[in-house]
Amino acid sequence: MANIAAQRIKREFKEVIKSEEVAKCAIKVELLNDSYTELKGEIAGPPDTPYEGGNFVLEIKVPETYPFNPPKVRFITKIWHPNISSVTGAICLDILKDQWAAAMTLRTVLLSLQALLSAAEPDDPQDAVVARQYKENLEMFQLTARHWTNVYAGGPHVNSDCDEKIKRLVDMGIEDHQARAALSSYNWDLERATEQLFS
Amino acid sequence: MEETKTSSQGGESDMDCSDNECFDEYYYNLNDDSDIEQIDPRKIDPEYFEFKCLFEEEVDRLLNETVETLSNILQISPSLAKVLLHTHQWNINEVTRKFHENPSHTLVSSRIEPATTPNALLLTRYTTCPVCVTPQPLDKFYSLTCAHMFCKDCWIMHFEVQINQGISTGIACMARDCVVLAPEDFVLKHLHRPNMREKYQQFSFQDYVKSHPELRFCPGPNCSMVVHSREVKAKRAICDQCKTVFCFRCGCDYHAPTDCQVIKKWLTKCADDSETANYISAHTKDCPKCHICIEKNGGCNHMQCYNCKHDFCWMCLGDWKSHGSEYYECSRYRENPNIAHESVHAQAREALKKYLHYYERWENHSKSLKLEEQTLDKLRTRINQKVMSGLGTWIDWQYLFTAANLLAKCRYTLQYTYPYAYYMDAGSRKELFEYQQAQLEAEIENLSWKIERAETTDRGDLENQMDIAEKRRTTLLKDFLDV
Ligand SMILES: [Zn+2]
Ligand SMILES: [Zn+2]
Ligand SMILES: [Zn+2]
Ligand SMILES: [Zn+2]
Ligand SMILES: [Zn+2]
Ligand SMILES: [Zn+2]
Repeated sequence: MANIAAQRIKREFKEVIKSEEVAKCAIKVELLNDSYTELKGEIAGPPDTPYEGGNFVLEIKVPETYPFNPPKVRFITKIWHPNISSVTGAICLDILKDQWAAAMTLRTVLLSLQALLSAAEPDDPQDAVVARQYKENLEMFQLTARHWTNVYAGGPHVNSDCDEKIKRLVDMGIEDHQARAALSSYNWDLERATEQLFS
Repeated sequence: MEETKTSSQGGESDMDCSDNECFDEYYYNLNDDSDIEQIDPRKIDPEYFEFKCLFEEEVDRLLNETVETLSNILQISPSLAKVLLHTHQWNINEVTRKFHENPSHTLVSSRIEPATTPNALLLTRYTTCPVCVTPQPLDKFYSLTCAHMFCKDCWIMHFEVQINQGISTGIACMARDCVVLAPEDFVLKHLHRPNMREKYQQFSFQDYVKSHPELRFCPGPNCSMVVHSREVKAKRAICDQCKTVFCFRCGCDYHAPTDCQVIKKWLTKCADDSETANYISAHTKDCPKCHICIEKNGGCNHMQCYNCKHDFCWMCLGDWKSHGSEYYECSRYRENPNIAHESVHAQAREALKKYLHYYERWENHSKSLKLEEQTLDKLRTRINQKVMSGLGTWIDWQYLFTAANLLAKCRYTLQYTYPYAYYMDAGSRKELFEYQQAQLEAEIENLSWKIERAETTDRGDLENQMDIAEKRRTTLLKDFLDV
């Protein structure tokens, strides 16, 4: 790995550890190898959002040309959000693309992602299905996002109605996550989700 | 600033006489009828277009002249003048006007200066570069007008990484939320590796040409020529070097009478619906009279059954004799007048039917063009044999090639009338268009028929037919080519 990249990551790692956000348990970084090319990030779901109480794990890959190119970041924890793929965890965020600046740091990235959870940009979507639900049926979106936070990120809000419908599909032989994804995409309409799964 | 107007070479439209003389000398045109064009060539030929094909060095010279002019007018460095011109589509008058109106605003909006005045710097002997986090002596640091300091090595790395991604004129400062651009002289001052400098200059050259409305890269494969015209219109340009013909405005295949947006829409539609349209790409059809299978191996759509000698139209299978007078019925699509009251299903079916009608004709003429090219090849071989055995010279047969070229030109325009008609609103203008389209189509098929039988057709007859077909084409373009 290029010298500058390793030097920077070492420094940034310390910066995050010492930061006040870590003290408040809002963000966290962990090294995954000695060469500083892979890190694990964590952000807490912001208050007053469907993600509140959840803890979201991120995969951070540092390219050879860091910090002249942005780190490659994706969500490991499954999440229901217009700018994050519900399938792959890929993120649509300008600073991870062409708006990256070499003077930005991992801390900037984590805080920007947290801000993204507070304020989605449905007009610049990564996941078209989620974005459509967000625009057409905000309440349904919040319900779904809260449910996903509960199941995948350890959020506190259990939704027994959702769990019930998923169980019905699981009983028909559908895999748990597949059932959740189908129901989420069809506004929890059991009939339409079933139709889609078996067509 | 008034006296500077005439000295500038950029995008001004109001030139005085002396400039016009240079202009005429500088340009030449590709119009065929050069003997009558002193009158007003645009009135005679709707496709008349003045342009010049330039080599890279000539383009460089042209751009540099504009840069130098602006740099003198505004008393700024050529490098900053380049940024200003690039962000203003090389419109020197516009930049000058804006700059005199509000210089600081112009510099900020062109990303030459920061929107807010930078903070005073802490001047210590050693400073840590925020990018590489290495403490270094102050003389190793450089900044743009925004005063964001970074070490020399980081600037170099930044430039190299950006250039390797094809970015040149758009390289910005490395600070967060700072949009100030690195001008050419700043980049080149730091960039030492010759291949990097070369790449940078090559990419920025491409950016400059693309941002200049009067310049257009030749789209021909591996061709680096640039076409220059003061007339920024969707007109036919031809590359001197590789002979590629293209639309000057959008750089795609020439598409008169259809305009740039409509042809783009049409081509996207054709690509999206390619599967639906696939079934019509038949090479054989049955004779409408004796039902024997007939293969189409020429470009002409006037077919004659080899079995029963019945003359019919390849497109609509109608009788050719009545076709001559009613061609209109073949090229035009007759919409169901009550479609608005029909079911959604019926409407969708009707929409598809309409599209297929136009697509089929568009596709068929494109195929005819290719088939006629093959006919021309065969013709060339036969004439060669004739010349070899003493039957006339190549010059005697030249008129046949002229006829074939004219046929290709006419059929090409005919092909592009179909997307035009498809997107036209119903009404009298569309009726006129379809009438002229039908007339053109009929004369083109007559010409094609005669060329296929070239050796037995009377030369005078053929030349007469050429004249008629080209007149129809020009008439249609005069009335409908709106660029
Ligand atoms: Zn540095
Ligand atoms: Zn800056
Ligand atoms: Zn060319
Ligand atoms: Zn065009
Ligand atoms: Zn027949
Ligand atoms: Zn017909």
